[in-house]
Amino acid sequence: MSDNAVQIHVRPEFENNNLGKAENVDIERPLSVFERIANINAVRKLSILLGLLFAWEAYTQIAEVEPLLFPSFSASAGALWETMLTGEMPKKIWVTVEILLVGYAAGLGCAAILLTWAVLTRVGSDVLATLTSMFQPLPAISLLPLAMLWFGLGASSLVFVTIHSVLWAVALSTHVGFMGVSETLRMVGRNYGLRGIPYIFKILVPAGFASILVGLKVGWAFAWRTLIGAELVFGALSGEGGLGWMVYEKGENLDTTYVFAALFMVIVIGLLVENVLFRNVELKTIAKWGMQR
Amino acid sequence: MPEEPAIKGELHVRSEIVNEIGQAGTGEVERRLSVVERLSNIDPLRKFTILIIMVVVWELYARIGEINELMFPTFSATGTALIDALVNASLLVNVWNSLKLLLSGYAIGIGIAAILVILAVGSRIGSDLLTTLTAMLNPLPAIALLPMAMLWFGLGPGAIIFTLLHSIIWPVALNTHTGFQSVSETLRMVGGNYGLRGLRYIFKILVPAAFPSILTGLRIGWAYAWRTLIAAELVFGGQVVDTSGQLGAEGSNSGGLGWIIFESQMENQTPYVFAGLFMVILVGITVENGFFRNIEEKTVRKWGMQKA
Repeated sequence: MSDNAVQIHVRPEFENNNLGKAENVDIERPLSVFERIANINAVRKLSILLGLLFAWEAYTQIAEVEPLLFPSFSASAGALWETMLTGEMPKKIWVTVEILLVGYAAGLGCAAILLTWAVLTRVGSDVLATLTSMFQPLPAISLLPLAMLWFGLGASSLVFVTIHSVLWAVALSTHVGFMGVSETLRMVGRNYGLRGIPYIFKILVPAGFASILVGLKVGWAFAWRTLIGAELVFGALSGEGGLGWMVYEKGENLDTTYVFAALFMVIVIGLLVENVLFRNVELKTIAKWGMQR
Repeated sequence: MPEEPAIKGELHVRSEIVNEIGQAGTGEVERRLSVVERLSNIDPLRKFTILIIMVVVWELYARIGEINELMFPTFSATGTALIDALVNASLLVNVWNSLKLLLSGYAIGIGIAAILVILAVGSRIGSDLLTTLTAMLNPLPAIALLPMAMLWFGLGPGAIIFTLLHSIIWPVALNTHTGFQSVSETLRMVGGNYGLRGLRYIFKILVPAAFPSILTGLRIGWAYAWRTLIAAELVFGGQVVDTSGQLGAEGSNSGGLGWIIFESQMENQTPYVFAGLFMVILVGITVENGFFRNIEEKTVRKWGMQKA
């Protein structure tokens, strides 16, 4: 036993004598009308949006920017309205969206086949892992020159690159999700005697749905970017197509107002898919099931 | 109140079920794995075999099917083309050209994103501005801005860097901002307790705490930027064909990887297209598995923020 085992260190009492007089500030008061309005999220964001638009319009009007280089907001909105009325814009939108839908659906189909194989056998799982690690880093757009060689200058080349951009993102994410499904859930499935396809759709898909949704979102983002890019490249070579082609063609002809109109539509479609479509799917599935806060 | 049963006092006794158990078969409870089984349990070996099989199938298909080399070259032709391009045509210079653009765009983009996010952390107006901008511009594919960029900055690296910036800023800013917002109140208060404010608060508390989302943002930014760069070089390729232009024509080595792919395809040298694609894959794998994986190991994994 050492001596200092019984030593007790007592800290000296510390007293703060410098406490000033406590001030009485507003503890509770009704917010002014302005403060209450500024607390509404939507109002703040909308006014920022309006402010940006106003700054754009004022900048182009006051600085007298060459409209060919940077058109004013009103001119761009006018161009958008005009192309909507003449039916040019809806036609272009439909061309792009149609290719996107076909490519997305076909990509999902291919991914589903590969995944089913991967779940059922170890060889399939290895093949999927090898393929995704090889093709996921490859930008789909770089396959466009080859696609044009194989399928000619037409919609099928675009569908090919769209499939490529969707397939690997979805397959990778879904596979990771399936592998993360807990052993308990798997055993519940086996206990019910589920095998093969019913096992995948009744156990793995619902349990891995959060990852599947991430994969679908990433796949959409890549597909949308690839498709617009592919239409631009096409623009340089052939001469028909959807929104991307419109951006390119109008840019070439220095119809800059129409370029901005087309860009605006690209943004609107992107927003609709991401914030309306996927958001709703999320709310109706993983948010409702309590898998995501 | 639960409904009262009609008859009281009657007990339902389930009849005893006796399951006739057959003779238990004694299977192999434990045995040594054969050599083949042990080999096939090695993960890299299996994947490598699959890779080799795919290459063999490719080679056989192209040879036996007598596919036109212009449409689908054999693996050996692609390999030869790759070596030839690396040795004689200095393909690495083209790779470096692409990477140089990408790196400068990435660095500037992260800088701009950092400024936006710092503004957003500092004030409510900044935060609103950032969310509005990202919500609007994130869904816009950067490549769609290329025609405007070519108009504003001319046919040159300026236009490409502008589009790259656009593809990097929004995903990085968006992910960093959401990451910052979900930093727990406890950690924030620890920072406040230490008297950290402004930049020191951001870099000592928010950045480490939100590092997983920041890393995700950086990864997405890289993926978009890499795709945008290749696409932009392809579009430039189309421009150059029209206008006997600027990016590739002034010397065989001035373009990037996308341009090489485009040029080889225009000259019907399909094996070189495949060689270019191979380099694209290689760069992608190196950055994703080499670079980002390493950062992940050294930060979020080491700190225990992410499981294997």
